[in-house]
Amino acid sequence: MFDKIKLTACALLVSAVGVAQEVEFTEYDLDNGLHVILHQDNTAPVVSTSVMYHVGGKDLKNNKTGFAHFFEHLLFEGTKNIGKGEFMSIINSNGGSFNATTSLDRTYYYETFPSNKLELGLWLESERMLHPVIGQEGVETQNEVVKEERRRSYDNRPYGNLLQVVQRNLFTEHPYKDPNIGYMEDLDAATLEEFNEYFDEYYAPNNATLVVAGDIDIDETKKLIEDYFGAVPSGNEVSRTRVEEKPINNKVTDTFHDPNIQLPMFLLAYRTPGMATKDAQILDMVSTILSGGKSSRLYKKLVDDQKQALQVSAINLAFEDYSAYAILSLPLGETKLETLKQEIDEEIIKLQNETISEREFQKLQNTFENRFVNANSSVSGIAESLATYHVLHGNTDLINEQIEIYRSITPEDIKRVANEYLNENQRAEIYYLPKTDDVQ
Amino acid sequence: MFNKKYKDNKMKKYILTINALLFLAFSSIAQIDRSTPPEAGPAPKINLEKPQTFTLENGLKVMIVENHKLPRVNMTLLLDNPPHSEGEKVGVSSLTGGLLGTGTTKTSKDEFNEEVDYLGANLYFSAQSVRANTLSKFLPRVLGLMAEGALTPEFTQEEFEKLQQREIENLESNEKDVAFNAGRLRRALTYGKNHPYGEFSTPETLNSVTLEDVKSHYNNYFVPENAYLAIIGDVDFEKAKQLVEENFSKWNAKEIPEVDLPEVENVETTQINLLDMPNAVQSQIAVVNSVELQKKDPDYFPALIANQILGREDGRLFNNLREDKGYTYGAYSSLGSDKYAAAFTASAEVRNEVTDSSVVAFIDEIHRIRNEKVSEEELNNAKNKYVGNFVLSLEQPSTIARYALDIETEELPEDFYETYLQKINDVTEEDVQRVAKKYFKLDQARIVVAGKASEIAKNLEKIEFNGKTLPVKYYNKLGEEVEKPQQKELDASVSVEKVYADYIQAIGGRDAVEEVETVAMIAEATVQGMALNLSMKRTRDGKLNQEVSVGGNVMSKQIFNGETGFVVAQGQKIPYTEDQIKAAKIDANPFPELEVGNASLKGIENVEGIDAYVVALGENNKAFYDAETGLKIKTVQTVSQMGQTMSIPTGYSDYQEVEGVKFPFSISQAAGPQTFEFNVTEILVNEGVTAEDFEE
Repeated sequence: MFDKIKLTACALLVSAVGVAQEVEFTEYDLDNGLHVILHQDNTAPVVSTSVMYHVGGKDLKNNKTGFAHFFEHLLFEGTKNIGKGEFMSIINSNGGSFNATTSLDRTYYYETFPSNKLELGLWLESERMLHPVIGQEGVETQNEVVKEERRRSYDNRPYGNLLQVVQRNLFTEHPYKDPNIGYMEDLDAATLEEFNEYFDEYYAPNNATLVVAGDIDIDETKKLIEDYFGAVPSGNEVSRTRVEEKPINNKVTDTFHDPNIQLPMFLLAYRTPGMATKDAQILDMVSTILSGGKSSRLYKKLVDDQKQALQVSAINLAFEDYSAYAILSLPLGETKLETLKQEIDEEIIKLQNETISEREFQKLQNTFENRFVNANSSVSGIAESLATYHVLHGNTDLINEQIEIYRSITPEDIKRVANEYLNENQRAEIYYLPKTDDVQ
Repeated sequence: MFNKKYKDNKMKKYILTINALLFLAFSSIAQIDRSTPPEAGPAPKINLEKPQTFTLENGLKVMIVENHKLPRVNMTLLLDNPPHSEGEKVGVSSLTGGLLGTGTTKTSKDEFNEEVDYLGANLYFSAQSVRANTLSKFLPRVLGLMAEGALTPEFTQEEFEKLQQREIENLESNEKDVAFNAGRLRRALTYGKNHPYGEFSTPETLNSVTLEDVKSHYNNYFVPENAYLAIIGDVDFEKAKQLVEENFSKWNAKEIPEVDLPEVENVETTQINLLDMPNAVQSQIAVVNSVELQKKDPDYFPALIANQILGREDGRLFNNLREDKGYTYGAYSSLGSDKYAAAFTASAEVRNEVTDSSVVAFIDEIHRIRNEKVSEEELNNAKNKYVGNFVLSLEQPSTIARYALDIETEELPEDFYETYLQKINDVTEEDVQRVAKKYFKLDQARIVVAGKASEIAKNLEKIEFNGKTLPVKYYNKLGEEVEKPQQKELDASVSVEKVYADYIQAIGGRDAVEEVETVAMIAEATVQGMALNLSMKRTRDGKLNQEVSVGGNVMSKQIFNGETGFVVAQGQKIPYTEDQIKAAKIDANPFPELEVGNASLKGIENVEGIDAYVVALGENNKAFYDAETGLKIKTVQTVSQMGQTMSIPTGYSDYQEVEGVKFPFSISQAAGPQTFEFNVTEILVNEGVTAEDFEE
């Protein structure tokens, strides 16, 4: 057992540059490998209990997609001691709130309770980890639920397949090429045995991070965690093989027809480095320069001044192994998608050739500082940040130190990444168009 | 690799026999029972930080709560002045508040706003408070701006007139708003029109305010005597104290004028007070009485719980009026607490035809909670909910600020909020009934109803309570008691046939109208600077094609082929509902007046000063015809959505002749608070419409 306690003394270092933010936390491993992060904040009698499993859409089972998201649902079906459907009613009748989310890289389950229900939260999450019921009945129920979700979130939702189209253009080998929710034929073909194997492979304590944040007593909480999670058997070490993609050297063009939309969308998409790299943070800043706020370059030009776009947005979709950088735009009136492309290119070229002004740079710093401060204003927000920094960035300290990375970014860095990643020959140009031929 | 062990009933044997050694090694681990959910611990004690305080010589009391978790600071400057009546010049304080922050003696408005934005700060001024939020590193500058804006304002005639005009326009735009008028009347009747809580501004009172009045109001009341400044977040007490002293010491002490508040009295016996709103499709009902209740009173916590059971989310009123009877989208009650005067209010917005039944349901529920003990389960659920809400609210720093101020301004014990949950838990069934009797004064309540008297008054006059018919008194929008409005009688010689015939005659005569097979209309309106275009094609045999576009992009499209139809909006194609089909059958026909069908004459009403005959078409459509000219001047469609009833009035004017038939060239449609004024740019008769227009 190893405790790492962040001392407030560290604040001295940071305060030199004006930031006094300090989220104190304790982290250690149980003997079964469960990583535990505790954050005590007694200001409000609220406690958040959450578990992040390092498993996501990119973790396939026998080349079948969609398993991690399926488990997000399946693990609410019940446990040895919690009847079918009772998971949610127990939380509600105790005044709690809950949810779960799955990304391409991780799955996160969380509850928030008044702090006198801490033990209840630990019991729920340990039940889920120790002995969930994975049976044919639950699999069938959730298969229907997930199909309904796929219809709602992807197939019937305007622009619902956007992310999937970006993924399939930027990745050819890496599982990032496939949708997070998976292909329905894969889930239909999956066997109960495969589900059980998948659980044993990825949901053991040694692949999980438990975060308890809020109105707690550290020692008491450690003891309760030992009581509830200590008995969960450890699993085999998860083997992760990172699939390498060859660089994109020639522009890719793709067209997708969506029956749910009337306005076409034009997208430029670039494959960029994974979320833990400094370049990913620099690209976040590029997004802000291009489309963060009404004075940003693309918004001011295309939406405000020239009235060519209804909307324009640059986003760095950060994943663990790679990221996807997308600039999307909706034309206004008669504007042609080619016109939008030219206008956007003009701004990218400007970023590649000119360093940003001092004032713009200062504005960026203020914007990111604000964002950073506000990301950690609730215990449930802090809990998720702590889990994410540990699981996907490999460094929990970033909860306090990430702002330093943003601070270290220079106007030259911004120019450099624009030149390194945002070139025409490295990108996918995606025409996301209304599907009109089969409206009937 | 070995595992820590716990004792599970079902696994116990296994652990003891196979892993006895390990078990011994970890014998300090508690025995836990996994088979049922763990019991909750004792209600958490609230760890509210205590502010550090000091008082400036001018009287400003400052509270500082150091919380270094996040590098940001929230500040609230609150003037806890006793309320005072503004008399002939009601609105002077809101004008004063609105002008704060629009420039100071040394900084122009634009420069001031630019500086606030550059720092990424938020700064809000009102007549009684100033609120600010900033990154802690900008605290000195933001606190400086806060003080500068609050203490050295420059009130200019230009800004004053702009604001005065805006407030008058706001008031005028609320003229027909039933909820607005209902609320204003309710407060005036509960507290009295001469009480600060009951008085209200009118265009006349606002117009009588001058820039000098604003200046003198500011000088009299924006003083440190009853002022509190709460600073919460990443601050150092000593530094903050120094900053406050630097910025607020120059604030001159001054006593505020003495005021006597008028007595607030309830009526002797329960009565209905009716405000006639002829345009109302729903009635606003409020059962009200004033109460004397403060947070420091022992009754406060039982009162919270009693009100929770009666009228908060999922309460008795909600379950009765919405879940059981379906009268309304929601029915709630509130019980105020205040140093000077407060009120109990139980209210709902209900359909016209169930107004009297809803009043009866309100009376029944209030009667029941006063006369019967609540069940243990209801009590516990109410407590749990209250505890949950309270706990969640504590996460926001603004809540901590509010509580710290409450303790100071409401004369509360220091541990008021620490012991809050305990006091909630101590409430008993007996307490609830006792306070319900005391504060929900059903025997001395006013039942204030704002609605369409011609449809609701008759039945309201029949309601009995305590064996007697409830008296109904009539009020106008200004809170003055008036005579019961007289209904205009319909001349016996008028019939639907006559109204329709007069209309057809007025627009060109039957022969000309019957020539019209199709009508294609193009109209445009301006909404927030954007051109909104409407294209509508209709046929005699009841087909409709309607497109709305903004800036050249089609926003919605509807097609009705006489039998079925659909709407396409935001990329979604949604088939018509039953109700939409019914409505389309009426809308699609350009001249429903050619045949009487099942139309019926409802009476004569005043529409903006014009006497108009009212014809009902089905349940949800009404048309109004000018009694003098015969022209159709208005239609009203009633739409029910999610339990809420909305009426959509459409006005027609500027009739012009096209191919021998007169069409309205000006069409106004109200949707919620917005009114769209359409100007017709083109009408084509018997051209520009093809069969394809009505295909999918």
